[in-house]
Amino acid sequence: MSALTGTPILLRTAAHQNARIVAPWTLAVTALSVTSLIGYRFVFADEASRQGLAMTIGSNPAFNLLFGTPYDLLTEDGFNAWRSLALGGFFTGLMAIILVVRNTRADEDSGQAELIASSVVGRHARLAAAVQLAFAASIIVGLVSAIVTMLFGGDPSVTIALSTTFTATGFMFAGVAAVAAQVGSYARTASTLAITVLGASFLIRGFADAAPGAGWLIWWTPMGWTQEVRPSTEARYWPLLICLAFTLVMVAIANGLLARRDYGQGLVPARPGPPRGRGLLTNVWGLALRLQAPSIVAWSIAFLILGGAFGYLASSLGDVIGPDSPFAKAFASSGQSIDLAFAFVLILLQIMGIIAAVYGVQVMMRVYAEEIDYRLEPPLAASLARWQLLASHAVIAILGPATALLIGGVAISLTATDPALTTGNLVRQVLAEIPAVAILVGVSVATIGARPQVRLASWAAVVATFALTILGPLFNLWDWILGISPLWHVPNVTDPDMSVGSIVGLVVVAAGFVTIGFLGFRRRDVR
Amino acid sequence: MDSAITVKGLVKRFGSFTALDGMDLDVQTGQVHGFLGPNGSGKSTTIRVILGLLRADAGTVTLLGGDPWRDVVPLHRRLAYVPGDVSLWPSLTGGEAIDLLGKLRGGLDESRRAHLLERFELDPTKKGRTYSKGNRQKVAIVAALSSDVELLVLDEPTSGLDPLMEAVFQEEIALEKARGRTVLLSSHILSEVEALADRVSIIRDGVLVETGTLDQVRRHRRSHLRVELTRVPDRLGDVDGIHELAVQGTTVTCTVDDAHTADVMSMFASGGIVSITSTPASLEDIFLSHYDDRLNGTSSP
Ligand SMILES: Nc1ncnc2c1ncn2[C@@H]1O[C@H](COP(=O)(O)OP(=O)(O)O)[C@@H](O)[C@H]1O
Ligand SMILES: [Mg+2]
Repeated sequence: MSALTGTPILLRTAAHQNARIVAPWTLAVTALSVTSLIGYRFVFADEASRQGLAMTIGSNPAFNLLFGTPYDLLTEDGFNAWRSLALGGFFTGLMAIILVVRNTRADEDSGQAELIASSVVGRHARLAAAVQLAFAASIIVGLVSAIVTMLFGGDPSVTIALSTTFTATGFMFAGVAAVAAQVGSYARTASTLAITVLGASFLIRGFADAAPGAGWLIWWTPMGWTQEVRPSTEARYWPLLICLAFTLVMVAIANGLLARRDYGQGLVPARPGPPRGRGLLTNVWGLALRLQAPSIVAWSIAFLILGGAFGYLASSLGDVIGPDSPFAKAFASSGQSIDLAFAFVLILLQIMGIIAAVYGVQVMMRVYAEEIDYRLEPPLAASLARWQLLASHAVIAILGPATALLIGGVAISLTATDPALTTGNLVRQVLAEIPAVAILVGVSVATIGARPQVRLASWAAVVATFALTILGPLFNLWDWILGISPLWHVPNVTDPDMSVGSIVGLVVVAAGFVTIGFLGFRRRDVR
Repeated sequence: MDSAITVKGLVKRFGSFTALDGMDLDVQTGQVHGFLGPNGSGKSTTIRVILGLLRADAGTVTLLGGDPWRDVVPLHRRLAYVPGDVSLWPSLTGGEAIDLLGKLRGGLDESRRAHLLERFELDPTKKGRTYSKGNRQKVAIVAALSSDVELLVLDEPTSGLDPLMEAVFQEEIALEKARGRTVLLSSHILSEVEALADRVSIIRDGVLVETGTLDQVRRHRRSHLRVELTRVPDRLGDVDGIHELAVQGTTVTCTVDDAHTADVMSMFASGGIVSITSTPASLEDIFLSHYDDRLNGTSSP
């Protein structure tokens, strides 16, 4: 019997069970590509507006940071390749990670995999099936996005090259997740590890694209290799060979590690712990803190690094966003008189705010995970009001991202050299932004508390905010649409005429969502 | 005697599926009440409504004199619960989980805790995920029994325990009963509650089939008999309480109402018993005897 016996059957079963996970990601990536194409076609119909767009994007390094170096912004396909490549790859990579971890470690933690491991399957069959499943799903994302984009008039050469980069990113991070699944002692640790690598390669790519003189870094990150395919100009395929090699190495490492670890254990084994519950662990608040601690620590460190990198970026861009730059002219024409470095940092803080919202939503999702694992039942059957249980996590979901943002803001001020980027200014700006982030987290408190069936609405809110905040202005959308994003209402604290009214409004809306969650949680069934 | 739990006409739907369809239950204070029913009959659902985790669609539930949905906090301080599906926090040790649950309930009895850990041979330093099913069950049992409460709600508490630990469990529950605690003990195995329960309620498809003392239920109980005789007596089929009679040569198999065991045995004795095996009635047998009764027009007392 070979180590891979049974893989095909496992793969078929897994494909069946995971189809529901693949569908939304495929949809998201396809929508990303199609909306770029159509949006561009309608909004930038003539040459002049296209030149204007290229000017705006070229002058603002925040766009390079998020989406990558633009190679061609004068055609709809070029715009699509710029807007979709990094994000589409990120989403596909995230999907691959979720699939691999779910079908390896998560099944081991829940004991489901034991039934399989004990039947006629080879030792490496489960990992092989999980990785192949992620490969297949990445290919589906590539195929569907390519076909649908071409149906909407995408140029075949650009579109196919672009969609291939999605698939390639999926492959690489399936490999990363396969390794992480062997190392972490729990499924949660494994996915945190893999997603950290994904986030880091995105950040390094962004830094390479945005910071002057950092271009060489592009070859040191998986997300740089896919960008170097340059679908809109050269559509060269050889960088994908690096992706393939990386994937193979990762899978080989994962298989090597698999042979070395026990079923249900990571390479880092679970150690015995204290026999008594003392200290923090005497009430639900302590329990929530204990359960969420790894998240809190990981995100806080992430924001420290992010802030440091952003601060450095803001200062190193002296010329790019200096007084004579197009960036400055864009602001001058809008009649605002603000420090340019601070204006740039405002955009970076919006990006950080959206990431912080992801953190908060993820904390709330943990409550749902606890519920479906029947772990809310014992505390609720003890003498505990329901609101306390929800509150113990909701407080972390709101204060955690707030703290992380503060850490990030201070870190920006520490690495930045511009006179306007003082710690005081940044802290005040972050404080003004926290209520907007709390609204996004509030949506997840509302859904998890009142109706977990619609919990995906909280991710939808984050994605919509991202689209409106970062891309909305490019498309010259009306203010009332842009205003759907809570971040749009965050005032600039260095503006002498700043009004506090909008902050109060944000706080009220956030409180409204949270209240819905608490009222709903009191009334619904808990399983 | 007053009731610790009263459930009347309880209806619980999950979407279009009706899990409980007019369920009744009455648990009297100071008694051990066996709650029997096959898998999926609605035991856990009933218990979750009693604990205020699920909201009743219709019917009334009274728990320790209060409303389990409204008075959650004060009521839960007076009870402890062992869920049917014990899922522990993967990163917490068993000892930490016991203490946490105890504190959430308002404190636990240190000496009981130590005593129970020893009785159940449980290592409190292991992390949640590394416990076997039986050991996870033990964590929940120790947490529940070491708290000082009036009512214990136990949902199939022994489902993962080995026979030795099951015996320990039976002893500990007997002690709890002696202390005057009320116990609601659900199970799908009749013999499990037999040793402990003062009264039992039997549920099937979300409705109460029968409730009463063990003796009352036993009246409906049948054992399977397989008897080898030297001579098969005549008129065997006419004896009261014999069902499903099959004779093959000198071997007789049948089911016998336990209430009529004496008559049947003397009948067999007249034929000269060579060997005899008896299998106690399962829960299903009790249901079958109920259905038989209903078909024959003699309803339960
Ligand atoms: N949350 C739920 N959603 C849908 N159906 C459920 C849910 N909980 C229980 N059921 C169904 O209700 C019935 C009774 O379940 P349960 O009370 O767990 O039975 P028991 O504990 O007696 O084995 C079963 O058919 C089960 O599938
Ligand atoms: Mg049950």
